[in-house]
Amino acid sequence: MQQLIFQSIIEALRAVGRFWLFIHDFLLGLREVRIWASLLPGQMRRVGVNSLPIALFISLFIGIVLALLSRYIFTGSVPMYFVGTLVGKSIMMELGPVLTGLALAGRVGANIAAELGTMRVTEQVDALETLAYDTHSYLVVPRVLAATLMFPVIVTLAIAVGLVSGWLTSITLLELSTQDFIKGLRQFYEFKDIWFGLVKSTSFGAAIAFLGCMKGLTARGGAEGVGLATTQAVVAGAAMILVLDAFWAVLLL
Amino acid sequence: MRRRDELIVGFTVVIALIAILAGALWLSGTTMSRTPDFRTARFRTVGGLSAGNPVVLRGVRVGKVVSITLEGDEWVEAQFQINDEYDFPEDAAVIAASASLFGEWQAEIISRLQPPNDPNVIADLAAAFAAGDDVWPGATLPDIGQLTAQAGRIATDIATVSSRVQTAFDSNAVVHMQGAIENFSTVTDQINSFALEQTEAMDGLGVSVMSGVGIMTDAAEMLQGTIGRLDSATSQGEIDSIIQNAQALSAEIRDVAITISELIAVIHNNQASIQRVLQGADSVMSDLVAGTGTVGMLISDSALYIETVRTVQEMRSLVEDIKANPRKYFKFSVF
Repeated sequence: MQQLIFQSIIEALRAVGRFWLFIHDFLLGLREVRIWASLLPGQMRRVGVNSLPIALFISLFIGIVLALLSRYIFTGSVPMYFVGTLVGKSIMMELGPVLTGLALAGRVGANIAAELGTMRVTEQVDALETLAYDTHSYLVVPRVLAATLMFPVIVTLAIAVGLVSGWLTSITLLELSTQDFIKGLRQFYEFKDIWFGLVKSTSFGAAIAFLGCMKGLTARGGAEGVGLATTQAVVAGAAMILVLDAFWAVLLL
Repeated sequence: MRRRDELIVGFTVVIALIAILAGALWLSGTTMSRTPDFRTARFRTVGGLSAGNPVVLRGVRVGKVVSITLEGDEWVEAQFQINDEYDFPEDAAVIAASASLFGEWQAEIISRLQPPNDPNVIADLAAAFAAGDDVWPGATLPDIGQLTAQAGRIATDIATVSSRVQTAFDSNAVVHMQGAIENFSTVTDQINSFALEQTEAMDGLGVSVMSGVGIMTDAAEMLQGTIGRLDSATSQGEIDSIIQNAQALSAEIRDVAITISELIAVIHNNQASIQRVLQGADSVMSDLVAGTGTVGMLISDSALYIETVRTVQEMRSLVEDIKANPRKYFKFSVF
């Protein structure tokens, strides 16, 4: 029993050490701008632009559901223009960044972990290292930077789509006028509502890509190891999104 | 491939930036058409007013609160961004107040000469105006929370009063009050009965008065007849004789009255004498009872009685001896 506990502690300390060594290698890889800069646009398209359909699809239905839910909650004593307030605040500050991040944790995190894991188990990474390529500059930095830069962009567009879908739902299904919806939307609006969501989404992108890269490059074995690394990347990415969400809420609200 | 990626990514990023900027400006109500005008208002306190709250003129939103800063120890200055050119009152003032029940506040621009009917607001506006500078005077209306707190205090007072009333008005008080009500009902019945009796008596009295009036009418008629007969008697000289007789009788009665009066005076005097005699007798009797005075002592002291009796016997024997032998005691000589 004592041996098991000792082994667990040792493994935990090794995991922390690998994490910080990975960060160290990532920071060193940032120096090789010539390498990662050429790869960045392609990664931004793969991570960001190609993720737009799923992000916008999710936000579309978030807007609809929030508007209907607001009508259900506010029926009675609360003015109906608060539908706009609830839809706006919820999508801009919480549901837009978090649900989009969770969706992209599956798509982007799994994609990166599977790709790099496959490269690891098929010894492509070893080949790059043999050819004196900095694997972090070549593989990790473009993906992490692309996710970090593109997640706010994706979330911004997702928020816009969510607000439009909420507005359309309000005027078509809730008998709410456009003026009332806008009044509610503007009633408690602050610029912080927007940048708070964008700051969160930036951190979500960095965390998802970073964990995907780390899990992929540490994959061992064959296809099973790649699958395990992919699963771990998605689960760790989703958990990290929720942790960061709480962290920013405590720090900024 | 790389150029295509750059184009697509760049397009996406630009779209997102435009969405952010346009959305933020639109939601905040900021217009890019002209340079906004900035005004400042001075308050004692701004209550719940905060940056971003609307500034309204006659109910129309004309700008927003940009910043709120403390000025010295007394004042708070709120800066307003006015989005367009408006004709504000020359004596403009600002009232910060709740805009709804849900906590949002607004700054309403009004005329300082037509303030809300609230002495605190009027005093605050006057003080802020007197502080000078080219700023609008401002005052704050109590918010829903303060009004609710005040209502809560009133409710607490009412509850306290109710509690006291409940304490004072316990079950015994109810029983007593029921008894008092029953007594009052009895008294009311009695008063009612008495009133009925009095009403009946008054009715009887009224009938009697009516009857009396009738009798008096008859008497008046009789008197009138008597007077008529009196007139006829006067003409025959009988009245003079009657009057003379009456005068004589009256003189006699007066003499008798004087005599009686004198007799009464004597009686009064005798009565006073009798009172004095009785008082004296009473005093004597008191002395007798108390054993004081000569008679009292005689009555109460047997030795003195015996001595007195003996003295009387000796005096009697002396008198007999004097009768028997006068020369022994009296000596007569002419010369």
